[in-house]
Amino acid sequence: MPTGGISPLVILLWVLNVMFDTTGQLAFKAAAGDDRAGDGVARWKYMASRPWLWLGIGCYIFEFLVWIAFLSLIPLSEGVLLGSINIVAIMIAGRFLFAEKLTRLRVIGIALVTLGVAVVGFAE
Amino acid sequence: MKHGWFYLIGFALLMSFDTLAQISFKYAGDHALPVSADIAWLLRVFGAPWIYGAIIGYIGSFFTWMSLLKYAPIGPAFAASHLEVVSVMLLSVWLFNEHLTPVRLIGAALIIAGIVCLGFAESREAPAEPAADADPA
Repeated sequence: MPTGGISPLVILLWVLNVMFDTTGQLAFKAAAGDDRAGDGVARWKYMASRPWLWLGIGCYIFEFLVWIAFLSLIPLSEGVLLGSINIVAIMIAGRFLFAEKLTRLRVIGIALVTLGVAVVGFAE
Repeated sequence: MKHGWFYLIGFALLMSFDTLAQISFKYAGDHALPVSADIAWLLRVFGAPWIYGAIIGYIGSFFTWMSLLKYAPIGPAFAASHLEVVSVMLLSVWLFNEHLTPVRLIGAALIIAGIVCLGFAESREAPAEPAADADPA
């Protein structure tokens, strides 16, 4: 382990955060992207009557707690950089579940973000 | 760019709420140390005022995000919302006396470059707005 204090607990919290964030975001996309939902207040009522919104909120609550614990163990400027891995996780998951395209430019973007997270994670 | 201003204001609002939340999360966590998976830790977290700043940031960010998601594809919208990395890093120097080490600056530059690529991928691929079907304006 490098000296910067990235302990096994920090890594566990980081992994849990990615899992809750990805599941939560995909649930929100499923709720918000439903064409039958209509507009305005009716849209919110429709979304509240279906499970996706609530699954997303549940994931967010756990993510909330995991993230507080994570940030209390490392510097904030390092924490937000390591948290950027969520961008990669969400894009790859969106590719599989919503058939969103992974074009060359997106693959380059994903590679750069991953490299940035790896540099911070391994070097600190 | 029919939704240009909508996106701009939406993302600025999202960035402000996200920044408020991250700063508050750090304060809340620092005041609740040591970390433990029990009630005592939760009581320490919720017993200090910081957590409520994070909750305001989260709720504000949630409603802004849900409004944006109706129009924006999830990946690029998520990427754009992550530019808060810049504001949070700058504020962490001031508020928490952290140092922007070379490693963090290199990591941040790579991550921001990645986010910019994802933004370009979005604008290049976005199909021309389907000619304002329900919108005579």
